[in-house]
Amino acid sequence: MSNPSLRAGSVLVTFSIFLLWQVTTTSGLVKPIFLPSPSSTFSNLWQGLTRGDLLALTVATIERMIFGWMLASLGGILLGALIGLSPRARYWLMPTLELLRPLPASTLLPVGIALFGLQPGMLLGIIAFGAVWPVLLPTIHGFSAIDPRLREVARTLGIGPLDFAIKFGLPNALPDAIAGMRLSLTACLIITVVGEMITAQEGLGATIMMAARSFRSTDLYAGIILLGVVGAINNTLLGFIERALTPWRAGR
Amino acid sequence: MNHVSPLLAPVDEASAAPAIAFDDIRLEFGGKCILEGLSFAVAQGEFACVVGPSGCGKTTLLRLVTGLLSPSRGEVRRLGNAVDGPSREVAIVFQDYGRALLPWRTAAGNVGLALEAMGTPRQERAERIDALLDKVGLSGHGDKYPAQLSGGMQQRVQIARCLAQEPRILLMDEPFGALDALTRQALQDEIAGLVSDSGATALFVTHDLDEAIYLGDRVFALEANPGRLADVIDVGLARPRDQLQTREHPEFLRLRHVLFDHVQKSH
Repeated sequence: MSNPSLRAGSVLVTFSIFLLWQVTTTSGLVKPIFLPSPSSTFSNLWQGLTRGDLLALTVATIERMIFGWMLASLGGILLGALIGLSPRARYWLMPTLELLRPLPASTLLPVGIALFGLQPGMLLGIIAFGAVWPVLLPTIHGFSAIDPRLREVARTLGIGPLDFAIKFGLPNALPDAIAGMRLSLTACLIITVVGEMITAQEGLGATIMMAARSFRSTDLYAGIILLGVVGAINNTLLGFIERALTPWRAGR
Repeated sequence: MNHVSPLLAPVDEASAAPAIAFDDIRLEFGGKCILEGLSFAVAQGEFACVVGPSGCGKTTLLRLVTGLLSPSRGEVRRLGNAVDGPSREVAIVFQDYGRALLPWRTAAGNVGLALEAMGTPRQERAERIDALLDKVGLSGHGDKYPAQLSGGMQQRVQIARCLAQEPRILLMDEPFGALDALTRQALQDEIAGLVSDSGATALFVTHDLDEAIYLGDRVFALEANPGRLADVIDVGLARPRDQLQTREHPEFLRLRHVLFDHVQKSH
């Protein structure tokens, strides 16, 4: 959608929302302690980023999110390849996976804390666990649902199992796996922030929680806006990655 | 008829053996008898065509030669050896080129797949790919993905991939069935030239009687339920053949009558 009028419309909607927010706060309908004005929120955000430690906190959260996401993606694709390529692995592992999948990652945090203590690695593991599913399931499907004709091509060419996985399975799974990685990154951001809130590890999650508890509403909203921006950047970047990794799907 | 030069294929026991031999083949599938008592042989360097009504097991026949399928009884032999699985000496061109090409690889990449499987050194591949694409009339299209190519061009990519295997046996399963008439005629002439240049043995399945006569040294006619060999006709038409002159030749028309009567009967 590169139509200029559509683009102008989207800018207009965003501005209207901020305008509405500004009007609501300056009219005195809502007390600033519950909803500060956007101007004070943004000036607080700017101050926090340039002079305070907000930038460092944001970096800490993004780092956690990215590492958790990389773990989830790598684990999801490796495990998905194994399960997708081997019917035996599918029979053995799927019931357990179906049992684990519906568990909300946030409920596992107390378990993780009890078993491993408050280590950064524990939180990363929980993030990866919660975010692996959107990658794992489409990857399994992508590796197992290779066109039977292509399997015959591989067999007549005498292509071995490892080459088959790399040259047939992986590209077949990649478009769906990348779509899954997109969802997974969003899940990572959510679990990272919740994890930081619960475990009080340094990051935006804990900062937002502390700001809310001490009625520092401009800090609270500044943190939320930052998270929104991070999420939007994630999505844009992944769009580029998707197009770069699956060029054969261009123009579909 | 094309004979393999003794320089290319050393004279030994294998070179005297037929390229493909079916020995009293019976094949059951899901309780249904698909092929029954099928015996025939295709000589090395021969271009053999198989025609028959749908459901007579034409495609099954090819799958038996590839080794993707095993007979319930009898023995299929390639170059004198019993078939016990796929071999790179045997290439197959599928009808559904859209499903037989890797959508994530360019035309060059799809041809390269066969070279990678053959263990061709990396530095030789690019040159070989160019030569193969050139052979099938696709030079300059190497960097296009299958979805960007027409049906005829996609089928050419598949043919180039099969030629990359340097097969001694080239199987083709109604390769031009999904193409328009003009493209089909062009590809018929090209495949005839490519097969005769390569010295490979061809087994070509089609439901188009004219195509079978036009391309074949011999035409095997099958009948259905169960699939059996009904007739074999020798095509004595001179090569290289010509889309107009050959198809208007009295002998072509006579053979066409013979095959047509036969197919009518078995229906």
